[in-house]
Order: sequence, then structure tokens, then C-alpha cells
Amino acid sequence: MKYTFTLCVVCLIWILPTHAQTPQNPETNSATPKQRGHSNTNKFRQMYEEFSTPNIFRTASGAPGPQYYQQQADYVMDIELDDDKAKLYGNETITYTNNSPDPLEFLWVQLDQNVRAKDSKSPLIEEVPLKPAERPNDLVRKFLEEPFDGGFNIEAVKDKNGKELPHTINQTMMRVEMPEVLKPGGQFTFSIKWWYNINNHVTNRARSGYEYFEKDDNRAYVIAQFYPRMAVYNDVEGWQNSQFWGRGEFALPFGNFEVNITVPADHILDGTGKLTNRKEVFTDKMMERYEKATKSYDKPVLIVTEKEAKAAEKKKVTTKKTWKLKAENVRDFAFASSRRFIYDMMAVKIGDRDVMAVSMYPREGNPLWEEYSTKVVASTLKSYSRMTFDYPYHKAISVHAKNQGMEYPMICWNYGRPEPNGKYSDRVKYGMISVIIHEVGHNFFPMIVNSDERQWTWMDEGLNTFVQYVAEQDFMEDYPSRRGPADKIVPYMSGDQNFIAPIMTQSNNIYQFGANAYAKPATALNILRNTIMGKDLFDYAFRTYSQRWMFKHPTPEDFFRTMEDASAVDLDWFWRGWFYTTDYTDIGVADVRKFHVSNKPNKFIEEFMSQVSVDKEEITPLVYIVEDGGEGSNEDERNGTAQSNSQTLKSFLMDNFSKEEREKMKQPKYFYQIVFDKPGGLVMPIIVEYTFADGTKENVTYPAQIWRKNDVYVVKTLATDKELTGIQLDPNMETADIDLSNNMWPQSGQQSPFDKFKEKVKE
Amino acid sequence: MSVTQIEYVEHQQAVQIISRVFIDDIEDVLEERYDTELFLNTKKENSEFTRLLERYVRKKLNIKINGEKKEYVFVGKEFEEDMLVFYLEIEEITKLDFITVENLILLDLFEEQQNIVHVKKGSSRQSLLLNEGESFGMLNFRE
Repeated sequence: MKYTFTLCVVCLIWILPTHAQTPQNPETNSATPKQRGHSNTNKFRQMYEEFSTPNIFRTASGAPGPQYYQQQADYVMDIELDDDKAKLYGNETITYTNNSPDPLEFLWVQLDQNVRAKDSKSPLIEEVPLKPAERPNDLVRKFLEEPFDGGFNIEAVKDKNGKELPHTINQTMMRVEMPEVLKPGGQFTFSIKWWYNINNHVTNRARSGYEYFEKDDNRAYVIAQFYPRMAVYNDVEGWQNSQFWGRGEFALPFGNFEVNITVPADHILDGTGKLTNRKEVFTDKMMERYEKATKSYDKPVLIVTEKEAKAAEKKKVTTKKTWKLKAENVRDFAFASSRRFIYDMMAVKIGDRDVMAVSMYPREGNPLWEEYSTKVVASTLKSYSRMTFDYPYHKAISVHAKNQGMEYPMICWNYGRPEPNGKYSDRVKYGMISVIIHEVGHNFFPMIVNSDERQWTWMDEGLNTFVQYVAEQDFMEDYPSRRGPADKIVPYMSGDQNFIAPIMTQSNNIYQFGANAYAKPATALNILRNTIMGKDLFDYAFRTYSQRWMFKHPTPEDFFRTMEDASAVDLDWFWRGWFYTTDYTDIGVADVRKFHVSNKPNKFIEEFMSQVSVDKEEITPLVYIVEDGGEGSNEDERNGTAQSNSQTLKSFLMDNFSKEEREKMKQPKYFYQIVFDKPGGLVMPIIVEYTFADGTKENVTYPAQIWRKNDVYVVKTLATDKELTGIQLDPNMETADIDLSNNMWPQSGQQSPFDKFKEKVKE
Repeated sequence: MSVTQIEYVEHQQAVQIISRVFIDDIEDVLEERYDTELFLNTKKENSEFTRLLERYVRKKLNIKINGEKKEYVFVGKEFEEDMLVFYLEIEEITKLDFITVENLILLDLFEEQQNIVHVKKGSSRQSLLLNEGESFGMLNFRE
């Protein structure tokens, strides 16, 4: 018992010195207000309140459950593009399979084009402040012009016998009523006939539409969200029929597509799925070049050359041609078509399969596009396949659209256009390479790992931006990545809290969209990979998530749970801080004090003994610790080892350890008590670099869990035989610490980036 | 997009400004304005660049402290990946209650340019998002 008692005395000396010096008087205590209780606010508490209860559909491990289901929507469509009037006509037959255990009374179909209807409510929810000066074209668009009439014209909704089906359109959603309830396991086939006016996506910013080339009166079409699409029905949302306001993207079920697209005969067209009538739509020369491309693994082969595209743009034939595409297990369908397209391809080995990397671009994209696009597609497929699963489709196409990047299964639009004289800067070049990596990467998230974009932008954008960073660094060493490294997120995370939302915010309600839904989650995952989990544990878990949810519909919890399930790293604290709050990292060195061991009882212990009425002789001998230069410190002991300074310690060692054992022990001279504080709300590991008088350095990482019992400050003691000369926190800028001014001890050597630059300039 | 970080450093009685813009953008705007070729961050870099940059910045970035227009020292510039970083300092500021920032940088060439300004005083941080319509804003740091 006595031994325990002395241990307690020793703890009290350092951890609670003020408590020990002024023992609590029970009488004064009762006069102070009583402390109030509180619920669990510990940042390491598990996320039982935020997460839904695991069930037969989704397990606690983050995998699909034994009764996981998803609906299927198969489409057969005939599409016709009227290039003269810029109208698109379609007749589609949807076969919907109810794999859910629920009977369905009606179906919800998405009418995305209605976001551009004359009576669209999207413009009404945007604020329009009046500016002191406006460019004439902006003023005309905002206040003078009638809005573009780009909504769907639904001509008929019929069952397979041609009987009209009752339907109701609510903005971008259409409810189709079936003659009888669709039972679990049942199928319902119906058709929709529609048309709409195609918008100019350059002047009327949009994901789908055409670019107009005035000099030769031609258009290049990139067409998407162009047909009425089934909404998702699942165990989490029921019908995901939240309106399309323009920002929060899509939630779509998987299905098979057979699509026949009729366009002017001189158009070059490609889209989602396998081209089933290649010989009908390709010329013999194109066929020959295509065969060559399927065996070209190192460089793209031109199927249509710039010269041929230039000839086509002048000639403009009036006949038509139908391209037939067939896709299996895709969540969407999109295509691009123009007589101005240059077209090239190369093969890329993914696992033991050949995939075609493809590009389509008007000549305005050259010389940049012919040099980089297809090669970037190939490189992206390899990097993403390594990080997730082998790319399962047979091709991936990158189409040049003037100023937008947007993704669909097997096909995407990308910006990056040189000056008219062909000159381009590094920024345009790397901007183009980055957007191609990003949009091709979207094949993996969300086209295959099919998360709900309407709800959670970060689930595809954030994960994709993270893998994009990895793929960029694969593409070229020291690639100038814009998003990913921890220090690049600091300006956002240290910004005005009034304009920051947690990552876990519905897509339409996010401030600073790019930083919130792309950069911050990508950075968080980079930090997890490099600093918290390590590459091996992270990569295995990330692949597990990708493979578990490949061709399925995951939720955020499925991701969070799988990352823990496959790694044995408790990450609830990380998800809570980084994804559910707007907290930031700020950890500092608050205090450093130097001590040494002393043989003589110090003032503190003498006072304490007199207060508890214990005589010196009654307690086990103690090892006394005094502050360097403080009370009880003496010159002889300042540079002595603990063993040489304290007879008590020396006797204890001689009584309990052999000579050999004693020789192996450390002989510390200095004891540094270091207080780390945490002005920031995020808990993160404390990454410390200690520098000693002899110039040596020691790097220590205290795991984030060091904060589990005290969220404000923590105390560490360093026992060393070398004098400590410096402490640097987060020396490699891994934690996105927003304030570096408290990261260093001693403070005198501390310089802000501004002062550092100023000094550099003076030299 | 440009990002400008402004900090009031009380112990130096100074307002320190670090501003980042894309190299290409600033190159384009200066070349067009001053009818020259700059070849930024290359061996051929035009020796006039720093002078032109300073001239441009002084015209486009204006700061008032507590309602009074302040001149700044143009400390210098450096390149950081695809960004140009320039450093400005306003000296002899004994207190900062209000700060007004007008940032017209690049607005003369790029219609959709956005200039973000973060201001820090002690532990208090506030931001401005400036564009063509709202090219200046005032922040209140009075305690």
C-alpha cells in the first residue's frame, strides 16, 4: 500500500500541481455552484447516433447484406438528331424490374431537361443581386430575354399494348401510374415519346448541348441526361425523387441499353456501349485504321484525321445514318456527334483484357488533344484499376467540349483548348490532363460504384478527386496537382465559418462546392492514407470498398464502415471530425519546461507532507524532480544523470537489478515536460520532430487517441541525455494545420511565411 | 481565381499581405495591358516583369485601414508551382478595427474572375469573395 501511496504523490506533483498545493476545503466547495452533468461529447465516441442500424440490406461491416437488392431499368431507344433545327427526338421503351421486397404503386421517371424548361424553378431559387455595372450580354440574358425553351415535350406515355398511362409531371420528376401494383419480382414495360430543343452549352452553361462553330456553321453535340430516366428506388431513400435543381447530380439504377441514333450521315458518333453496326457506319478506311488501333498499345491511331474532319465541315451531306449501340450493366447513356470530330484510339491492357482508349475532338483542340487525350485516358484506366478493380467496360472515350468537364459511362466531356494560333500554356495543358483523368476516373465513381450524387456530391467527387491525385502522380512525377496535398486545403478550412458546410451536407446546400465536395474529402483521404492508416492498410480497405460496391449502390456509411472493417483502424473520430463538422486542425506547443533529478526533498514535497501530517521517515524514499534553475535546483546536479544525482534511485537500482541490467538502462540527464495544446476542433495525431544540441533529430508521432481524455491540452515528458534545442510540429505539413505560428519551440526561431520571404528578399 | 491572405501582425504593427494568382493569368493580363512578352518563370523572363507587376498591383489592389487609404511596400514576388505569389506590407498600423479591400486584379481580362480575400487578426478570421459586381468589401474587426 505504501508503494502505491508514493506513486500517487509523484503523479500529483506534475499532473495536478495546483490541486496538490491548495487542498480542497469541503466547506468552501459547497458554496460554489454545483457542476452540471453532460451527455457524451467525447470526440472518440462511436457513431451510433449518426449511423443507421445495420440490417439485412446493409451490414455492420459496410458490405451489402444478405438481402441487398437493387432495381433494374432496361432501355430500348430510337433517337433522332435534327441538326438543322437543333432538336432531339426520342422514342424509348423502359422495362423496369422490381427486385425490392416492396409492392410499388407507381414509378418515378426523371425529366432532367425540365431544368431548362421555360417555367423551371431553378432560376427562381438563385439570388440575383443587382450589380452597379453589367456587361450588355449578361444584362440581356438576365433581364431582357425570354428564357430558352429547353424542357421536355412528352408526347405520349403508353404501356406495351399502346394504352395511355396516367402520368403527372412535377418539375423534373414524372410519376407514371401503372394499371396494377408492381409486385416484388414483377416487371413493367412502358414507353415514352418525347422531344426537346437542344441548348448551346457554351453560352447557356450546361452539361449537355452543342457548341456552335460560326465560321463554318456547324455544331458539335455532347448529349446527356437527354432521355427520361428511371429514378432509383432502394432500401435507404425509397424513391430518390428529390428534384434536379441543376447542381446535385444523379441517382440512377443499372440496366441494359439498346440505342439507335440517327444523325447526318457525315457525323462521327460515339457513346456508351458497343457499336454493333461498325461496318455500316465506318468507311473501309476507318475500319482498316480501327483494326490497327486495336493492336496499338503505345500510341493512338487516327480513325478520322484533321484533314478529313475539315473536309466534312465544308461539304455537309443531307443523308442520314443510324449508329447502333448496345451497353450492358450501365447506369446511364450519353453520346457525342459532329461532322467536325477528329477521332483517335489506342488499346490498353487492363488485367488480361484489351480496353480501347478513345478521343473525339474538333480541330480547335489541336495540337493539345492529338498529343495527350488518348494517352491520358489509357494511363488513367491503369491507375484507377490498380486502386480499385479492373476497368470492366471495353472502352473509355474523352470528348473535347469547350469549357466543361462532365462524366457518363464510358464517355466524358473535357475542356482544355489552345489559343487559335495553337499556342497553349502549362496551365491549359495540365488543366486538360487533370480534367481528363478526373472525368475518365468517374467511370469508377459513380458510374460503377454507383453512389447517390443527388444526396452526396462528395461520395463520387471526393473519392474520385482522391484517386485522381494518385493517377496524376502516376502520370508524371511531381505532377502539379491542384487538390490532394494537405497544405492546399488550409485556405479553405481556415476561412470564414459562415461560408463553410460539413462534407456531409446535401449537394444543393453546399458553400464553396469545389473545396467542400472535391478538395476536402480528397485531402482527408490522402491524410488517412499517408498519415493515419498507412498506404497498405488504406489501399486494401479502399479496394475492398470499391469491390464490395462495384455495380451496386453504396451509402456514406457503407464507405465509412468498410474502411474500418478491412483495416482494424477505428476511424469514427476521423469521420466525425472531417466529414460531419467544419472543424480544422490547429495543434501547438504551449509550454516546454526542463527538469532534473535531485537528491534532496524539494519544497513541494515538504509542504505536501506537512499538510497531510506525514513524517519524512514514514514514506518510501522518493526520487525528487526539480525545475532547472528553479527552487531546489543546484548547479552540481544540473548536468548529472538521474542515477548519479539520486542516491535513492541508485540504491533502488542496486537492490533490484543486476549489474548487467543496470548497464543496459538509459541514463537521462534532462526531463522535458512539454504541453501540446489544440486550439482547433479536429483531433489529429501530434507529429513531432525533436532536435537536440548535438544536431540529431528524433521523430515521434503520438496517435490522435492521445486527445481522448483531454481535448484541450496534453502533457508529455521526454527523458533524454541530450539537451533539447527545438521542437517542430508537423514538419512535413501532413495534417492541414491552419496556424503554423504555434508549431515551433522555441518561439524566437519562429518565422511566418511572410517574414521568411522578407528575409530571403533582403539577402 | 486569386487568393489573398491578409494578416494584422500586432507585435510588428504591420499588415502583411500574401497574394496568389495563376501565372498564366497574370502573364496574359500584363502582356495585353503593357503590350509586351514576359516568358514568366522561364530563362527568357522579361526583366521588366517585377516593375510591371508592381505597377499593376498598385492600380488594382487598394486597402483602407480604419477608413484611411494605406500605401504598401511591395516586398517581392516568387513562383510556386503554377502560381505567382506576391508579398505586400503596410507598416505602422497601431490598431486595426476596420479593413476595406478592393481587389480588381485580373477583372480587366477575365469576366468570371473571382478574388478571394481572407483577413486574420489574432484568432479572428473573416473572408471576402470579390468579383466584377462586388469588387470591394469591408470587414469589421472591432472587439
